[in-house]
Amino acid sequence: MSRKPASALPVISTEDMCPVCKTIRYLNKDMEFLINPECYHSMCSNCVNRLFNDGPNQCPYARCHRTLRRRGFRSAFFGDLSVEREVDIRRRVAAVFNQAEDDFETLRDFNNYLQMVEDLTFDLVSGGDAQRRAAEATLQQWEAEHKADIERNRRAGKEADEQSRRRLAAERDAARQRRVEALREAEEEKLERVRSREAELDSLAQGQTGAGGGAQRVQLKRRGHAAANRAVEAAVNTAAAAADVGRLSIRGLKEKKKAPPPEGPYDPFGGVDFVPSRYKVHEGLTHPAIDKYKGDPGHITGGYSFDEYTTRAMFEAFAGLGVFIEDEKEAGIGLSAGEVATISAGMAAVGDRMEVD
Amino acid sequence: MATEDARYRQTSQFQLWSFSPTQLSSMREKTNAAARTRIAERLSSLPALANNTSAPTSSANTPDPDGTSTPALPAFLSAPEEAQLVTFFTSELLRAGDHAEMTDEIKATAAAFFRRFYVTNSIMTYPPQEMLIVALFFGCKAEGSFVSITDFVKTFGRENPEEILAGEFLLCQGLRFAIDVKHPFRALRGALMELASHPNVDRARLGAAETRAREILRFSPLITDAYFHYTPSQIMMAALSLADRGLAEQLITQTFHHVAAPTDSGADTPAASGTDGPAKEPAPRSDDKAQIIGSVARDKVLGTIEACRDMLGRELPERREHWTNRAVIKAQITPLRKKLNKCRDPERWNLVELQRARREQAAKKSDSEDGDPDDRDDSKANNKNSNNNNASDAAVFGDALPRDPKRRRVLGEGAGQKGKGLDDPFGGPL
Repeated sequence: MSRKPASALPVISTEDMCPVCKTIRYLNKDMEFLINPECYHSMCSNCVNRLFNDGPNQCPYARCHRTLRRRGFRSAFFGDLSVEREVDIRRRVAAVFNQAEDDFETLRDFNNYLQMVEDLTFDLVSGGDAQRRAAEATLQQWEAEHKADIERNRRAGKEADEQSRRRLAAERDAARQRRVEALREAEEEKLERVRSREAELDSLAQGQTGAGGGAQRVQLKRRGHAAANRAVEAAVNTAAAAADVGRLSIRGLKEKKKAPPPEGPYDPFGGVDFVPSRYKVHEGLTHPAIDKYKGDPGHITGGYSFDEYTTRAMFEAFAGLGVFIEDEKEAGIGLSAGEVATISAGMAAVGDRMEVD
Repeated sequence: MATEDARYRQTSQFQLWSFSPTQLSSMREKTNAAARTRIAERLSSLPALANNTSAPTSSANTPDPDGTSTPALPAFLSAPEEAQLVTFFTSELLRAGDHAEMTDEIKATAAAFFRRFYVTNSIMTYPPQEMLIVALFFGCKAEGSFVSITDFVKTFGRENPEEILAGEFLLCQGLRFAIDVKHPFRALRGALMELASHPNVDRARLGAAETRAREILRFSPLITDAYFHYTPSQIMMAALSLADRGLAEQLITQTFHHVAAPTDSGADTPAASGTDGPAKEPAPRSDDKAQIIGSVARDKVLGTIEACRDMLGRELPERREHWTNRAVIKAQITPLRKKLNKCRDPERWNLVELQRARREQAAKKSDSEDGDPDDRDDSKANNKNSNNNNASDAAVFGDALPRDPKRRRVLGEGAGQKGKGLDDPFGGPL
């Protein structure tokens, strides 16, 4: 298709000609092109052998001064080498930035992270020189700083892969098992049918008409039995499979989450101290007014403790004895009168709108 | 700081409804001024009514120093006159409570509600005779004694339950939804228990003192501003001191028994009081101890109780007759009520009408915006207000209470100061 009618010679595409030694596929049927991820310049395997057998050498392309090693050469997966390069870069970045969504507090954080990674990748793939260098530096720095994390995530990812692989394998296995089972059963059924038919024929031949129905019944019973057996077996199998799956899927655990700092025991009273400082509740405090209730079944049956009353009465007798409202309100403890007055004025002046409810 | 006082400071009674005398009077002045300007506006916007009322009163108006600028308006009540009327209606409320055979707590709560309501609302704005019934009804509910509204209405010879229910939410708003009132009645029991546990105390004397003190508590603090200015325990001590001065002083001196230096103790306390100090555990820090139960604190408390005693002494239970005395009423109250009848708020006075109007207004607001231009203006104004409406609605509850965070490290505190905190994180029984 890239043939130009004007030229006499067929134009040989780069896929068919090594740009280094100009060999064409016509001459070498099993010519293979290799690239090195250093510079992504392709050349044939003969050239690679020829140039790099004796150790590292410069790239034979003009104006490419990279030193290549033989070990780095491989065949390209994509025809378009820029795609090949992008895939390589992406693979490398993904190996470094391998956090999962579980590692983040919110989805938004995770999305921000993905955006950052994508920006960096884009810089590496198609950024200018400076951008590429900066992105490279970032990548390396990150890699150096988070070595342990990366390693852990990598392992976790691998494990997850392994698990899903195993699960798939197990499912496939089970499916195969089922198929085999079904086949076997069909076989048995058939055999059974043949056998019963023969039995029937035999009984007919011997002239025992009554036995036929019995055989049929036995047959039916046996079939039902087999079906029941199968059902039980299947149930056991699925239970085992479910247990297996449950065991395998314990991977969403966030072991990395830092435990919140201990907050101490919960105090439902918000720091209010209930130890009286001014009085003491003696034993045997009582009052004529409550004495008459002490024998009253209506009060004692329910377990009412008269100490409660005593404590409360004592508390009320002494609570606020040292609260000097005049001093404290002038000093502005609690809500100051100014605020109350503002509120009251507001209520008085625009009563309408507050009371429309 | 004493723990009991810290707990009292958490109450809404302290946070929202305790004022110094100057604060209270300035608030009443403010309420009065706001009511005057508003009622003046309303009255002048009702031409027919304004002419009717102004014609006969204009002559009486002009010499009145309280009358606002225009002679066409009636004379308004001044803040002290309002306060006097509120006091009169409080006594009416107590009488009504007696008539309905309510408990002391209900009557006291209702009286406190009534007085609180008329701190931020003028008596010229809302009808006191209606509001006192509302306060009684709501007081019943607040004290946990739930009467059916039909029975309640029958007790007071009214016909329409609506009259009471219409004012209920209004009252709540005026109370800023602080419906727990701390009373000195149970405190009196506590004090008597404590006194009875002392040796050499005559039971008959205690009984007499309690009866008298309770009688005082039932009337005097309710009809004065004592609930605004003093804490329940101070009111109780003052009442006890009015009933039997010796007992009250004995209790105070034994409570504040901590003797810092021998020079202080010799001043006015019998030496015996210090010795049987009710078995306090040895103080970890005597400075604190001195502050809480030292002689300085005692003198200050005694001073406060003395002031409270003066206030209560002005309205002893014997004054019940004074407030029902026909001659007194005719001389002092009737003129004020006549004045009140002329200067009351034309829009707010009828609570049932008011509630109906408000409901209509609210319904209209939620409806579509078509209507005559006046209405639209109205609703526009409302809308404009409604932006800051949310803010002021919340302000009804006052500012956020300055509570400590709900958690504390019991371990740290308990180990540091009191061993008890460690044993029992919930402290002693209530």
